[in-house]
Amino acid sequence: MISSTPTARPVAAPRPRPVAWTRLAWVTQRQRRGAIIGTSIVFGLFAVYLLVMAIIQNNAYAAVQACHPAAALKCQSLANTFYRDYWGSGAGRVIQGGGAQTVSSLMFALPVLLGAFVGAPLLAREYETGTFRFAWTQGAGRGRWAVSTLVLPAAALTAAAGAFTALFYWYFRPFLADNQVSEMLPLAFALLGVAFAAWTLFAFALSAFFGTLFRRTLPAIAVTLVVYIALAIGTATAIRPHYMTPVTVSGWNGGVAPVWVISSYAKSPTGQILGQGDMNSIVSHLPASVQNSQNPNAFNDWLTQHGYTLWQTVQPDSRFWPFQLIEGGWLLAVSAVLIGATVWMVRRRGA
Amino acid sequence: MDVIETSALGKRYRGKWALKDCTLSIPGGHIVALVGPNGAGKTTMLSMAVGLTRPTEGTVTVVGGAPAGSPQALMRIAFVAQDAPLYRNLPVADMLHLARNLNRRWDQGRALDRLETLEIPLSQRVGDLSGGQKAQLALTIALARRPGLLVLDEPLASLDPVAREDFLAAVVAAAEQDGVSVVLSSHVLAELERVATYLVVLTRGQVRLAGTVRELLASHGAGLEEIALRYLRAGVSSVSRTEGAA
Repeated sequence: MISSTPTARPVAAPRPRPVAWTRLAWVTQRQRRGAIIGTSIVFGLFAVYLLVMAIIQNNAYAAVQACHPAAALKCQSLANTFYRDYWGSGAGRVIQGGGAQTVSSLMFALPVLLGAFVGAPLLAREYETGTFRFAWTQGAGRGRWAVSTLVLPAAALTAAAGAFTALFYWYFRPFLADNQVSEMLPLAFALLGVAFAAWTLFAFALSAFFGTLFRRTLPAIAVTLVVYIALAIGTATAIRPHYMTPVTVSGWNGGVAPVWVISSYAKSPTGQILGQGDMNSIVSHLPASVQNSQNPNAFNDWLTQHGYTLWQTVQPDSRFWPFQLIEGGWLLAVSAVLIGATVWMVRRRGA
Repeated sequence: MDVIETSALGKRYRGKWALKDCTLSIPGGHIVALVGPNGAGKTTMLSMAVGLTRPTEGTVTVVGGAPAGSPQALMRIAFVAQDAPLYRNLPVADMLHLARNLNRRWDQGRALDRLETLEIPLSQRVGDLSGGQKAQLALTIALARRPGLLVLDEPLASLDPVAREDFLAAVVAAAEQDGVSVVLSSHVLAELERVATYLVVLTRGQVRLAGTVRELLASHGAGLEEIALRYLRAGVSSVSRTEGAA
């Protein structure tokens, strides 16, 4: 940024040494004390709940695993009770209407709520109260002030979210360990690995950007929510399945390893891919013995016997970390661009 | 050394010129009254001088040639915006510490002395201070930076008469003790008449008059208020003439 060519304009004094980052860091933490306390309370309360439930849940799951032989009726019953109680379909005895399913749903809201709560007011409040006229005319300069104001909360929030993911993973482990849930499924993927912290950082950067663009906190939060939700859903449904070419496997069950099924289809004996209409037609002409069978695989077995082949495209669980790094990487890049654009706006824009 | 020097300075907001073709040299060592009606461009000019706003055209340099908003300029200019914006939720002590951490040059002893004299408690929240106390705190912070130039935008507008007197007295004392140059803006010349040693009259985004009070009084043979009024009127009529011709 500093031009090395001599300027024509005579400069009165040599360029002063800039204010130290440690001093700016003090300013940032003092200004953001409210956000620090608020975030700590939200993370803290949630963390205490997860910690307590994780201990109870992991103990209960250890009992399920210790039961031998696994196929025995009492072991099956123990396992069923575990899922009913802790996965939670509303009938659980331990948590009424709660359980891991509900907790993981709530977890999806956490990045955008915390990110917007911390990020949107950073510059918007300065505009709303007029204090930017104070902050930007101090010796430190507005550029350094903006970098400190944005980067420190971004780092702190991302680190807190990362630590929180570790706790959540421990809590959620029994369901992943038993292949009950593929780590690749949209309902789990964004809550695990580096994705949760990356989405939190993205929400923060997005809301700080809109807060600076609009110079108002509430519109910034509202637009952040809309954009974030659209992108989160769009990523899970349209972008993430294409990080790597899906693996095509034959058969409805796709083997034993847990997978994320992207699409499934059947081929006729002549090799044609069957559409939904073809499938409906086959189902309506099935013999009664298959239609009324108690065996859940009866239909599949019948199709196989009659020369139909069943195909699925899947993303296997072995791709969990490559996918995490891809998603974390692009979210980090987008967040960095948003923060850079925000600093640029602070530096360039007039009051 | 000129404390503010502008050359063909102009600022346009959404197609409307708030300040146009403004060329001005304000010498150091004065208490400068920047006077004009509301909307004349006073805040725009000061915002560009302190580096908050970028000029649409022309240049502005401060405290001896530093481009407005440059690190050199920021270090040597202290600015108190209208209504003295400070962080309302902070205690006075933390507000001071925050300002200290945003500046390399800082005289903490002086700031504490001033606050003690003013009987502003350090534990008080800034938002709980009276208007006069808040203005004095903003001035204290500005002076603790040991600036070469102190810029105050409409510092008296929100103060009651007693607080105005106290504030002006503090500004004059600082100018005398520290040798700091001061620029104050107001839409009421009467407020600044007693303290100003340099007058700039601004109307409709144009400088109508600039000079030391002594010279103006000598050359015009009239009271300062009368001179200013004449130029304020002239500014209005000249602009209406231009608009009529266009």
